[in-house]
Amino acid sequence: MTKMSADVVIVGGGIIGCATAYYLAKQGVTDVVVVERDFLASGSTGRCGAGVRQQWGLKMNILLAKESIKAFETLNEELDTGLDIEFKQQGYLMLAYTEKMVEQYKKNVALQQSLDVPARLISPAEAREIVPYLNTDGLLAATFCPTDGHINPFTTTNSYAIAARRLGVRIMTGTEVTGIEVKDGRVVAVETSAGKIHTNAVLNASGGYSREVAAMAGVDLPTYPERHQILVTEPVAPIQGPMVISLHHGFYCQQTPHGSFIMGFGDPNELKEHVVSSTWHFMEEMAAKVLPVLPPLAQLRVVRQWAGLYNMSPDAQPILGEAPACRGFYNAVGFSGHGFMLGPVTGMLMAELISGKEPHIDISPLSLERFEKGELLREPSVV
Amino acid sequence: MVKTQLLVVGGGPAGLAAADTAASLGIQVLLVDEGRSLGGQLVKQTHKFFGSGEHHAGVRGIDIPQLLLKEGQDKITFKLNTTVIGCYQDRVLTALTGEDEYFKISPQAAIFATGASEKFLAFPGNDLPGVYGAGAVQTLMNQYGVLPGNRVLMVGAGNIGIIVSYQLLQAGVQVAAVVEAAPQIGGYLVHASKLARAGVPILTRHTILAARGKEAVESAVIARLDDNWQVVPGSQQELEVDVVCLAVGLSPVVDLLRQAGCRTRYVPELGGDVPVRDSLLRTSQEWIYVAGDVAGVEEASAAMVEGRLAGAAAAKQLGADVAAADEIIARSQASLKALRGGPVGEKIRSGIAKLEGGIANA
Repeated sequence: MTKMSADVVIVGGGIIGCATAYYLAKQGVTDVVVVERDFLASGSTGRCGAGVRQQWGLKMNILLAKESIKAFETLNEELDTGLDIEFKQQGYLMLAYTEKMVEQYKKNVALQQSLDVPARLISPAEAREIVPYLNTDGLLAATFCPTDGHINPFTTTNSYAIAARRLGVRIMTGTEVTGIEVKDGRVVAVETSAGKIHTNAVLNASGGYSREVAAMAGVDLPTYPERHQILVTEPVAPIQGPMVISLHHGFYCQQTPHGSFIMGFGDPNELKEHVVSSTWHFMEEMAAKVLPVLPPLAQLRVVRQWAGLYNMSPDAQPILGEAPACRGFYNAVGFSGHGFMLGPVTGMLMAELISGKEPHIDISPLSLERFEKGELLREPSVV
Repeated sequence: MVKTQLLVVGGGPAGLAAADTAASLGIQVLLVDEGRSLGGQLVKQTHKFFGSGEHHAGVRGIDIPQLLLKEGQDKITFKLNTTVIGCYQDRVLTALTGEDEYFKISPQAAIFATGASEKFLAFPGNDLPGVYGAGAVQTLMNQYGVLPGNRVLMVGAGNIGIIVSYQLLQAGVQVAAVVEAAPQIGGYLVHASKLARAGVPILTRHTILAARGKEAVESAVIARLDDNWQVVPGSQQELEVDVVCLAVGLSPVVDLLRQAGCRTRYVPELGGDVPVRDSLLRTSQEWIYVAGDVAGVEEASAAMVEGRLAGAAAAKQLGADVAAADEIIARSQASLKALRGGPVGEKIRSGIAKLEGGIANA
């Protein structure tokens, strides 16, 4: 086996790993290796609902999402791979069914507008103008942001990978990271199924497996996997512009450009293990949740269901930055279900951080140390 | 939730034999099939079977289903026009009768006899109307009495390609040629001879390059292949046909098994991805057995014996009389050995050797 080395080794070929590789190479750090156990986007990225929204309740999330969406808007041109990321920018419609939620949404919208995000609070009647078959029984209000949307996670990840390769990045698929060598508190090598790679910088972008990968470097992460299930229907003519989200019911539902509907819901009793099998309970409960709100979907046939892993952190916010316990070991993990939409901005920020620049957004509140200091962030608007 | 001791998915030769065997050992069986009648692909087979009396030799395939079920078989409930749409790891299966009746089944054990689907070839024009799988042509003709067209190019000279070509001739359809990429005919020579006598050219070392036509197939381009499977320059010829029929093999239908968590392995000798199983046809999920083409593409005779074997093994697991079950198991295993004996069975034997014991090894 030949001796390998790299300036940066990225563990994980999902959106975070591929975007970071691209932005590193764009800055001139081209001696980068991405190590992916399976194939690109085979983990949480390719299994996600792939919605992108700026309608958050935390300033940090709004800023990150806004920057990501700005990048998505011109990504086809920038990466110039011939692939289409299929950005369907027709908004997110977020439904509010309780007074408490309306109050929260009012606060969220005020914050979003102060950051130049074009979200607005709308009435049930206005919501029906956007989604004509929406059943507004019990609906008190909604918020709508027209620049949110939906993206194809496979073509996006592959576009980043193709563009990164073009700049000199090496991507090793079908290759598993089996160990991380640390000497005097610093990363010195990554062991893989294809041999050892000498390096002084490792990015942990391994999604649902972030805790296990960090443990190889002696870094203890408070993250854990949580299964989330999704289903997809047969394709039909375009009838639904925005992603419809009801935090009250806990579901999201989107029609893709291909015409199929993709939907899922958050289930507090889901397995917190590395399990991506499907259940019939999900299928039945999904239908029971979504049909009262979007009745015509009862006509659709389900063609497939699958599951993926959220990589949960204790406050459902990402963990970004160098691990205090191990120099050269960087984490971009714990996205808790929002990693795909934050892919571009995370890639830019991690590239800046790893190449020794000051990140253009202050991400110190997202450091791993926040859990020790008890400075948890709380996002009020999650599925 | 429908409860049953044994669920059999698929009412073709393997499934019918499995259900009948388990029921005759006292097990209560629910048999589900997506078709409107039992028999699976047997209903397409208008020719007489070969082999010994034990394997229904001399009987036409269409007549076999009724022979597979013993009289007074009241232990079996049949649910036709019903598709199993999901198989979950908590041993619950979801099913749909017609378009509307959705229900769940909770069996103690299941035998999957879901058969195989046709393989396809990639060539320009393969999406034109008039390009069929051989199974589709058989269904059209033998089940619905509809001719696929007037003049056919058959691709593949295995048993299915040869037999369907002959059935087309019998139905009054012209067969322009049979092309076969391999250097020799794969099907039984007795059937191939019938074709040759009728004047149909069987062109070995030939393949299809394209189907042509505006709205539907109007012609097909074929060419000769050299010993490295490359097209011989200048050997192209265009045949005027309105049907291209592909008989290029079958792939086991393992989707539900995968969903249930059964391990599969790629074994080209058996048609592709097949479930890993033991000598009793039990998969890596201890409640799931397989029989017939889903366990490895073979012939209807082997499928029926596999059905008896899996039916007896599942019945034994469910508490049937051990001696009676063991007797059927031993007889079926001996019968399979005989069916797969000789040079014809070499491929199947080597394929199965890769699978059995695989549960322990995998």
